Amino acid sequence: MGKVRAGPGAQQLTIAMRHLAPLAAAFFLIAATPGKVPEPTDLWQGAMHGYTPNTVAGATVLDTAALSKLLVGVPPLMVDVAEADKKPAGMAATALWMPAHRSIPGATWLPGAGSGSSEASFVDAFEARFAALMGGDRSKPIVAFCHPECWGSWNAAKRLVGLGYTKVYWYPEGMEGWQAQHDTAIVKADPQWPVFGGKPVTQ
Amino acid sequence: MRASIKSAVLPLGIAVVLGFAAIPARADDQADRQARWKDIEKSLFGDRVPQDGAAVVQLDAPVRADDASLVPMAITIAAKQPVKSLYLVIDDNPAPVAAHYTFGPAADPRAIKMRVRVNTYTNVHVVAEMQDGTLLETTKFVKASGGCSAPMGMSDEEAMKGMGDMRIKFAGDAVANKPVDATLMVRHPNFNGMQMNQVSRMYTPARYIQTIAVTDGDKKVFDLDTDISLASNPVISFAFVPTDKSQLKVAVTDSEKGHWEKSVPVPALSN
Repeated sequence: MGKVRAGPGAQQLTIAMRHLAPLAAAFFLIAATPGKVPEPTDLWQGAMHGYTPNTVAGATVLDTAALSKLLVGVPPLMVDVAEADKKPAGMAATALWMPAHRSIPGATWLPGAGSGSSEASFVDAFEARFAALMGGDRSKPIVAFCHPECWGSWNAAKRLVGLGYTKVYWYPEGMEGWQAQHDTAIVKADPQWPVFGGKPVTQ
Repeated sequence: MRASIKSAVLPLGIAVVLGFAAIPARADDQADRQARWKDIEKSLFGDRVPQDGAAVVQLDAPVRADDASLVPMAITIAAKQPVKSLYLVIDDNPAPVAAHYTFGPAADPRAIKMRVRVNTYTNVHVVAEMQDGTLLETTKFVKASGGCSAPMGMSDEEAMKGMGDMRIKFAGDAVANKPVDATLMVRHPNFNGMQMNQVSRMYTPARYIQTIAVTDGDKKVFDLDTDISLASNPVISFAFVPTDKSQLKVAVTDSEKGHWEKSVPVPALSN
């Protein structure tokens, strides 16, 4: 009654994971120290949810107070790269599935734009969408954010710096940091931004 | 919950300066939340519009939750109200209906307690559907976030150990026809597919409770329809009206076709 069935495949996986466990644990220890995570030289390819570095080379880090001040001036392009909620398997046909994405009011939501992907389709879409959103002006301010402890916005900021944008800001506290002090708004995904398949890239 | 959020405190002065920047006024925020509720209402009830039910139905929920994956919700119904069913709706959760209880003849719907996951700061609505079809609602704003992605802090295997085990506690010996309080505890991780395993860094596949049916003999106490907003290892408090030889049966099903049952005699006060 209700036993978890583990097939041979699952068993092999368990064995493989057992061998990898010390390695994973060592990695986990380094990555698990908040405030001590070194900046990778390139885009982050690992799991999106985890402790991040304190900085992004070439970008300016904002806390909530600093972001608040920035918003008083020339409005920056606020870019939310959080992934959309994925409908869990097996939901009852009658159950309501109505994901609502709350964000910083006025933000442009590009779900999954924080991916570290080097695939041409993604790289090109990212470059093209930002060129359009910024009207080709690389000197206007852009703020990248998603959730706390999420590499997605770190990657987005890093990629923007690499594309030659000169006023890139990273807001690591994300939507949750914002809502602790300010109102939020439900935003819809940017209709011009393509949907990329695969795993969710943020929490 | 994340420490980084808790530690972030904005000086009041800056908050005041911000009032007229790119941030909408409080009224916009409320309009936005009201529009969201209207959408949900329409999806759930069609043309039936819930009325203010504060006199009949109450919701007790924390203003700020300590743990967004275990937010206590206590629903109270005024005495002797003919309630047919109860909806607990967490407006901004992706699957907003956290629970729908349909009561049977053995129920006493005066009090329901359970714990839920809350994804973001949100309104929580309770709607009582009366026997005549009237809908009565009440609401609370709850500050909690990240409950849907909060991991359980143990391996998936450990979290699934004993899945389906149940305990039922009674507040005292039962006397026929006098309502008695009961608490049902079900061991189940209620994985919602949004939680990441802390070591493997992989998403734990969704596996969550969908129905809990409680009966006393051949009489229904309640049927609960639920899904990913239910907290891990759910604890549900309810009341029912026992007979002189009550036997409570609980049947639980989950999204992976798991099915578990437990039947317990209700301790009766001897005459």
